[in-house]
Formats: sequence, structure tokens, C-alpha cells
Amino acid sequence: MSILYLLIPLALLLLAGAVWAFFWAVGSGQFDDLDTPAVRVIMDDDERPPEDNRE
Amino acid sequence: MAAAETCFHCALPIPANCDIRVEIGGEQRPVCCPGCKAVATLIRDAGFERYYDSREKPDPGSVRPAEDAGEWEVFDRQDMLAAFASLDGARAEATVYVGGMYCAACSWLIDAALRKLPGIASADINPVTHRLRVTWDTSSIGLGRILATLADLGYKPQPLAPDSTERPERAEQRAALKRLLVASLGMMQVMMFAVGLYSGEFQGIDADMERFLRLVSFLVTTPVVFYAARPFFAGAIRGLRALRPGMDVPVSIAIGTAYVASVYATYTNGPAVWYDSVAMFVFFLTVARYLEMRARHRSLDRGAALASLLPNTATRLDGAQRRQVPVTQLAAGDIALIRAGESFPADGSVTAGQTSVDESMLTGESQPQPRIVGDAVMAGSVNIDGIVEMRVDVTGTDTTLGTIGRLSERARYARPAFVQLADRIASYIVVAILVIAAAVALGWYLVDPERAFVVTLSVLVVTCPCALALATPTAFAAAGSRLSDLHLLVTNGNAIETLSRATHIVFDKTGTLTCGMPEVVQTIVHDPDFDEQECLQVAAALEVASTHPIARAFTHYESALAATGLDISVGAGVEGVVDGRHWKLGNAAFVPGAQSVPQDAEATRVFLGADGRVVATFTIADTLRRDAGNTLKELEKMGLSTSLVSGDGQAPVARAAAALGINDARSGCTPDDKLQRIHGLQQQGEVVVMVGDGINDAPVLAGADVSIAPSHAASLAQSSADVLMLGDTLHPIVTLMQAARRTMRIVRQNLAWAIVYNLSAVPLAAAGFVPPWLAAIGMSTSSLVVVLNALRLSRIR
Repeated sequence: MSILYLLIPLALLLLAGAVWAFFWAVGSGQFDDLDTPAVRVIMDDDERPPEDNRE
Repeated sequence: MAAAETCFHCALPIPANCDIRVEIGGEQRPVCCPGCKAVATLIRDAGFERYYDSREKPDPGSVRPAEDAGEWEVFDRQDMLAAFASLDGARAEATVYVGGMYCAACSWLIDAALRKLPGIASADINPVTHRLRVTWDTSSIGLGRILATLADLGYKPQPLAPDSTERPERAEQRAALKRLLVASLGMMQVMMFAVGLYSGEFQGIDADMERFLRLVSFLVTTPVVFYAARPFFAGAIRGLRALRPGMDVPVSIAIGTAYVASVYATYTNGPAVWYDSVAMFVFFLTVARYLEMRARHRSLDRGAALASLLPNTATRLDGAQRRQVPVTQLAAGDIALIRAGESFPADGSVTAGQTSVDESMLTGESQPQPRIVGDAVMAGSVNIDGIVEMRVDVTGTDTTLGTIGRLSERARYARPAFVQLADRIASYIVVAILVIAAAVALGWYLVDPERAFVVTLSVLVVTCPCALALATPTAFAAAGSRLSDLHLLVTNGNAIETLSRATHIVFDKTGTLTCGMPEVVQTIVHDPDFDEQECLQVAAALEVASTHPIARAFTHYESALAATGLDISVGAGVEGVVDGRHWKLGNAAFVPGAQSVPQDAEATRVFLGADGRVVATFTIADTLRRDAGNTLKELEKMGLSTSLVSGDGQAPVARAAAALGINDARSGCTPDDKLQRIHGLQQQGEVVVMVGDGINDAPVLAGADVSIAPSHAASLAQSSADVLMLGDTLHPIVTLMQAARRTMRIVRQNLAWAIVYNLSAVPLAAAGFVPPWLAAIGMSTSSLVVVLNALRLSRIR
């Protein structure tokens, strides 16, 4: 069981890392709009270059 | 018939003799005007033909005539840039409210079109808030060009000042997300350590390991208490200072005492720690707060809603010179020129010209009002048919429009806040648990010191208020998500509770009970040479160019007939030549011979005359929604009384009330009258629901106990409403009322279950009959029962 003395602090470090990463993501605006990304994927760009659209 | 053909771009009927086509997707598509052709060509040439495949409905008349292009140029000026954008070197960022967005295809189109412009660094569009955040390089493109591009696509862009309300909302959302994450991760970790501590209690645990687990629990719980739970402490202090302690106070006491007691126990090696209870309690409350905040942000923000009624720019007359200026630069004493179809930029009076104005959004008055020199005009009302000059008296927030906005804001703040019962009870229970646990620990310590610790632990676990904390939020969340599937958006968390207690529903008339669109309800033909259909078609041909609201009544009847030499007389009617005859369509004074037709003061009548004789009489009325009668009957069956308050005249209101069987109807109400009426009902002890759509309804919507607005409502009304109804029917109100009652029934069941469970478990645990493992099972089962019970709400139909 003494391995826990190492593993738990390690888990806490990972936890701190995860919190830091999430705070960074929130700060950079990745969570500002939680609605658009859900629909954006179906509105993908046209694969054809614009010039080809005119016959 | 040719009339069946509609414009490929905007879906309006194509006038006869109009043969404008545009090639889209390899086919010649008919369009109705050069404007639509320009927009369609623009969309095609930019490579966005897919827009036509993916849009959900055609643009409703969104085309802006080309001559308005100058409107946007002023935004290229340096002073404009300073007013609407934040500058960082050569890079500028601005937020633009994009009116006229309906679907995800719109957001894609805007996004893609802007990315093709030179110098655009980024463009983020949010279809829910209709906001575009755009960053660009000022050396290669100006704001005016960006706005003009949006306008060319058929939208109504409106730059917002940088200090508009989005920023605080964004900051609030970010902070709430961070707190939620800290609370949830912290809770999970602490629970994990708690499992170790509990099972250690069961199987025996190393004293050092126990100390260690308590220490790491302390490390993880500390940020949860001091960071995630800070708003509760701040709210409690605010409440105490204002001598109005809210539910934050007991919550804070519970969190604070449990935390301090745990720290003390950790330090002194005391019998038990409560870190898990603290973290879990904070987590559940933070989730509930976060969901509530999301719903609140969903409602439109007031600033943009108010400003969207005003034009962006106005034509100011500086001597003989006309100058386009942003509406914010208009000052009292300026003279402004307003063309037909434009809205008034400020309150003031007419100094030259005559016109009629549409004030229906502001006053509920459904008829156009004539305005001549010296008459007052209001910001936000629409100039229907003449060109006028006005002297600006008041601008911005001091206008009638601004006052209505402020009034609704105040009414909203004055609304007594419903204190969430479950949170309050849960926090008292936490305090009670701590007191009971301390008493139990002391009692058992005196009787049987060896068992004191285990029994205390059981008491703490078995009484965890999770079920209580979950009872209300889970039921509200389940009901809210189900209702949004049923096209009812609940924007205020308290709305459901209030709706379930409602006793009285007050309806607005125009646009709520009625369709808000004039329709021809009766046609009398006086001349045997013509039939009803011909008369309607001639009228439609004459009204084709008119911006008058009544003209919309005839659009259903458009045919191959076309009028030439159209001439509009302000406030009277329109004349022109159709099929070789000279026709006149208008009021009794305008059409010769119309005076001889028997008058009916109660109805709006329009006369059609040819060659000096009157040919037909049309009766125009705003018809009731098809399901209005049924809905009202069902609401009354549910035991709700109904009233009608309207700003409209006495006759139409009385007619609608009679048709629907509403006994209590009031007409000619100002927003203030409506508010008085609501307050009167509230003083009689009624819980009042208000259903309305106009700007004049906004204060009433905010002042009622709970308010419902249809989705076509003015944005100001929407932002004041607690519930938004999507779609064009009234029946969702019945669904909403039933759902609200059912939700509260489930909440009460949940609360009753949680309280009964806690009350019955505590004595058993205190008496030492419940071992810790059974306590843990009891706690999770009670939470599960609550959640499953709440999920029953997702079956509402």
C-alpha cells in the first residue's frame, strides 16, 4: 500500500495539469460558443474551387 | 398560372412582365427583381451555391436596394472605427449584431463570405446570439466594406459599441465554467479518497495512511471551497450587508463549518472528516447555478434588442447638404430626412412633408397613423409612405423606445425572486446534519466511546443531502430540455415553478391572439361586370409597390395582371392603370362614389373604384389564430381565468374578445395601463401569466409573474419574456402549463422522498442500526430515485 504515497501525489499533479489546461482553453475562448460547433460540421466548405461552379 | 412562380432567392411572387433570370446550379432560375438577381449572383460567384441547398427557408424580403450602399461607407471613417471597434495597432476587432439570420446555413454563408474578403483575420458568428465577432486589418479593409458585404447578402448588420453587454456575459460564462470544472474534478478526487477512508473504516486502515488520505483530501477540497464556492460566500456577505439574507447564507455556513471542522479534525486527528460532503455539496450547487446561468444568457440581451429597432445611420440635413451620420451622432435640434420605408432615428416632430407611420410595435395601434408638419414622431416607428423631415428632440435612451426598455428592466428587477426551496432546505439540512452528528458523536462518546466514531460516520453518510440538492435542478433540467424539443424555450429557471401556480393568463391581442397580418375577410362587389376574384387581383396589382401594411392583405391574390403608372397618395390610396382601365384603391375619401357605400365604423374598409364608380369594397381585418379559441377553452378547463389587454382600438378588441369568449377585455391600453392592470390582478392575489409580442408589451412581460412571448415577437419583448414559443400556434401554452404543473408535482415528490428518507434514516443511524456500507447504499439509492423520477418528465408530450 505504500505505493499510494507516490501514486496519489502523482495523480494530484496530473489533476493540476488538467485544471491548468482547461483554464487555458477557457481563457483562449474555446468555450465561449457552445452552440455553433455542433452545426458547423455539417456546413463544411465546398470542395470545388469557386471558378468551377459556373458552367 | 404565372403567378404561382416565386423568386428563387427571396420566394416573393414574381411580378408579371418581369423576366429576370439568374443561372444557379446549371439552371436558369427566375427572380423577382434586380436586387435579388444581384444577391443571387453574388452568392453564386462567391462559390456559395450550396447556401440554396441548405437554407431552411427563403430570405423573407431581405433585399436591400443598391442605392443604400452609401449607408455603409460612413463606417469607413476613422471616428466610426473608434466608436465601434477596439484597435490594436493596425488590427481592429468589432462585434456586429446580424439581423435576419434564421438558420445554420446563414451562419455558414456569413462565415464563408467574410473569409473571402481581403484583410479579415477572423470571423466568429454565433447563430444563437446573432453576433459576429470580426477581426480585420485596417490597412486593407474598412468596417464599412464588411458591413456592406453582410448587407449585400441580405442581412441587417448593426455594429455594437465595444462596451455593449456581451463582454460581462462572456466573462461570467468563463468564470462559471472554471468553477464548475474545479468543483467537479475536486469532487471526484475527494470521493475517491473518501472511498479509501470509508473502506478503511470497514477493514481497518493504517493510521499513517488515514492521515495521508485526509491530508490530500484537504489539499483538493481547499480550492473547491475557496475558488468554486466563492460566489456563495460573496452572495452571503452581500445578503447579510443588505439585511436580506438569501439562501447563500445557510449554504455558506454549511460549507464553511463542515470545512473548518474537517480541517480541525485533520489537524488534531479527530474522529471524522467531511471533505467529501463539502465537495459534493459545492459541486451540485455549482452545476445548478451553471445551468441556470446558461438559460439566462440564452435570452436576448436588451441593448442589442433595443438598438435593432433603430436605423444604423440617419440622413442629417446640414443646411442644404445631406450627410449620412451614425444615429449615435444625432443630437437634439438636428434636422433629419426620413424616406419611405425607413424607421425614425429619434423622437421629434415633423418639420416638412407628410406621411403615415406604423407605430404598432410601440403602441399596439394596428392602424397606420397620419403625420403632418408639427406632429410628434417616435424613434423606432416606421415611416410608411412619404418623405419627411423631422427635428430631433430626444435621442438614444431618453426616447419613448428607450423608456420602454428601461421600464421593462426595472419591472424585471422588482420581481420578487423565487428562492429555490430545495437549496434552502438542503443547506439547513447540512447545518442540521452537522449539529446532529456532533450530538450523536458526543452522546455515543459518553455511552460507548468505541462505537461513537462508526455511528457518527453512518449518520453523516446516510444523511448526505444529495437527493435534496438534486431534487429540483434535475426536474427543471429534464423539463427544460423536453420543452425545448417541443419548441418552448424556458429562459428563466423560476418560470416553471411560477407557471405551475398561475391562476390568470393575460393576452395581448395583435400578433398574439391574432396573426398580426391584415387579411381580406369580406369582399362586396358592387359592379356586376366583375367577380370577386378579378377585383382582388386588380387590387393586388395596384398594391404591388406599396409599403403600406394594408397592402400585405392583398399579396395572396397576385396574378398575371400588372399595373402601370402607379401613383401613391399618402394616407389615401393608390391609383394606376390595369387592363386599360384607370383604377383607384383607397379609403372612402379617395375613391369617388365610395361615400355612398354604407359605412361600418367598426371595420377597416378599402374601396376599389374604376372610371369614377366604386366597384368593390374589401373589409380588412387581422384574423384570429386558428387554434386561439381551442387553446383558451383548454386553459379555462385547467382552471385558469383569462383576460385580454390591448393597445388597439375598442372595436377590434371587443370583436376578438367576443369571438374567443373572453369576458375581461381592455382596449386602448398604454404599456403603463397594461402594467397597472397586471399589478391590480396581482394585488387580488392572482399569479399572472402574460402572453404578448409587441415592444409595448415588454414592461408588462417583465412585470407579470411569468411571461411568454411568441418567437416572432419584437426582440425587446423576447428579452423580457421567461418563455419563448417557437412556431405560429398558441397551443404550446397549454402544453407548457401542463408541463409546469407536472414538473412541480415531480419536484414535490422528490423533495418529499428526500426529506422522508433523511428524517427516517437519521434516527436509525443515530441509534447505531445502520453500518457505514448500508448508509452509503442508502445515500446513492435515494439520489438515484430522485434522478429517475425527474427523467419521467422527458416523456411529456
